[in-house]
Amino acid sequence: MILAFAVAPVVLITLLIGLRGVAAMRTTSDFLVASRRVSPLLNSAAVSGEYLSAASFLGVAGLVVKDGIGALWYPVGFTAGYIAMLVLVAAPMRRSGALTVPDFAEARLASPALRRVTAAVILVIGGLYLVPQFRTAGLVLSAVSNSPYWVGVVIAGSGVAITLALGGMRAATYVQAFQFVLKLVLFIVPAIWLLIQVSPQTREDALNPVEFTRFAADTSVEFRIGTTLELNGERWEVPQGATVEFAAGDEVPQVVGEARPGGEGWSRPLLDIADADHPLLSTWALTVALALGTMGLPHVIMRFHTSPDGRAARRTAAFTVGLLGIFYLFPGIYGVLGRVLVPQLYLSGATDTAVVALPAQVDTGWPGSLFTALLTGGAFAAFLATSLGLLLVVSGAISYDLLSGGLRGLRVTVVVAAAVVVLLALQAIRLDAGVLVTWAFTVAASTFCPLLVLGIWWSRLTVTGAMSGVLAGLFASSGAIACTLFGLPVTGWLAILIAQPAPWSVPLAFLTMVLVSLRGRPPTWARTAMLRLHLNEDREQTPADRLRALRERAQSSQTNRN
Amino acid sequence: MPGHKRIAVMSPQTRLAHSRRRARGRWRVPKLDGPGADRALVLHRRQLRLAVAPLALLFAGILGLPLVFALFPGLDDIRLLGIPVSWLALAVLPYPALALLAGWQLRRAEKAEDTE
Repeated sequence: MILAFAVAPVVLITLLIGLRGVAAMRTTSDFLVASRRVSPLLNSAAVSGEYLSAASFLGVAGLVVKDGIGALWYPVGFTAGYIAMLVLVAAPMRRSGALTVPDFAEARLASPALRRVTAAVILVIGGLYLVPQFRTAGLVLSAVSNSPYWVGVVIAGSGVAITLALGGMRAATYVQAFQFVLKLVLFIVPAIWLLIQVSPQTREDALNPVEFTRFAADTSVEFRIGTTLELNGERWEVPQGATVEFAAGDEVPQVVGEARPGGEGWSRPLLDIADADHPLLSTWALTVALALGTMGLPHVIMRFHTSPDGRAARRTAAFTVGLLGIFYLFPGIYGVLGRVLVPQLYLSGATDTAVVALPAQVDTGWPGSLFTALLTGGAFAAFLATSLGLLLVVSGAISYDLLSGGLRGLRVTVVVAAAVVVLLALQAIRLDAGVLVTWAFTVAASTFCPLLVLGIWWSRLTVTGAMSGVLAGLFASSGAIACTLFGLPVTGWLAILIAQPAPWSVPLAFLTMVLVSLRGRPPTWARTAMLRLHLNEDREQTPADRLRALRERAQSSQTNRN
Repeated sequence: MPGHKRIAVMSPQTRLAHSRRRARGRWRVPKLDGPGADRALVLHRRQLRLAVAPLALLFAGILGLPLVFALFPGLDDIRLLGIPVSWLALAVLPYPALALLAGWQLRRAEKAEDTE
């Protein structure tokens, strides 16, 4: 039922938009003038709408349930990234006229080889970002409709691929801005309803966490993947697809290698990655990766191009900080309530569904179902907005930068790329959305962050330097992530630096870029190529410029009269 | 009639993705005229100088707050309206602080561009 009422409308509307449902036809000049007048506030709502993915909508609260209050560092990092973007990248990047990092690499350094390497990096970042979106969409679909996990993933993947292949997102900026408002309302209203509806005892428990050791009521846990549980030193293999009934008062088993929610350290505002017992180092590693990675996210950079000039792009970045801040005040509420009401999700590795599982725990009547439907719809809107943008950028990188196909090539690539992501997502059910997304940020911070920062601010950067820095950062970060995925047996601080390599991979990339560049000699025009990015184009410089601006204004007022 | 061709409204990303091909393959040596180059040089230096303080504040905040939490675990036990102070400092405090930082830097960066 919930599937029909919440997900179907969102997917259908997206499909209809793809089939030019709201493709209002306008004259070319109308459209161009309108898009040049997108205000920074509207544009920043569109940026936020695109940025708030399933990882923000569901993942953060899920990580709070599982790992504790320290998981709230994720949204702080997600927001802090826009400060770095505002200070270092937004205005010059817009002035470069580049749509993507590969474009920027070619505009600033004139190297087709670097264009291809950066396109390959986009594939890595896009993959790491898309897989958790598809995974979480599949998980939520299977949780609310009792269908198998793969059905959810395939439905989510087909929806996105068909929409893009049929014509892309035929939605103007204001539709994407509306998406942000929709997500904000669908997230905040249920949160307030939950806070009012839960019993005073639950509110009390939420603020005084205790370890989840005994089931408070009869609980049935559905295991969508096989898991090894441990109880009093005895190991217990739960097969995939099993449903286990626990009676009230039963002792809660432990998932091997993971602490039970609410235990020691859960209420500490620090994050312990890899349970390595170095919470301070873990938290630092995470926040650095997120703050520096944001500027390299391909779908976000592309959005800034809709700003009319560098100044508006900078404003957009600044307003985005404020808008994201409103949204991120709320995941914590779902997190602390989830630990009290649905801690059993930890056993089956499905804490990412905590947000949509909460309303049914509070109210078994129609209001509970209604709010579950609202949250599921919001989660799907989040998933779709981010996936559509990312898949488009990934397909663009493949068909324009790596191969050289045309529009038809782009459409085929979209379908192929979506199929690959679906296949990867089917294997990734165990991996939390927040963790995978953070790896995408880490790769971005280790490759695109140094390339953009040095490219924009340092005229001595050479092609060889940029290339070696990007490659060093790519191999260091993705190599460390691969080690974590394959379960390299390390412990202590070394485990943190492998699971979250940003603290050493970002400096490594910067150093490589600087040292290799210093050994070479930049071309004579390099200095001009860099300085050009800092010249504010909104000031009318020459008489010719002034004349052009005047003519443009006259033309646009004429169009308005028509 | 020019200006009256009808086109489908699509998202900026889609439009940009579709028009990417046309934009390629026309790299030219970048040029700046004399006054433009001088002004760009001044702006580059000025913005670079302005970038130091907000970045220092940002990293002082996101690296310093965890340090405070690690050094003063007692913050978990002090409560405001029943909520641990350390929870509030992580879940609420950073967002207005970041928004203020963004607003401050935005004004400084724009002012630097406005003055000759």
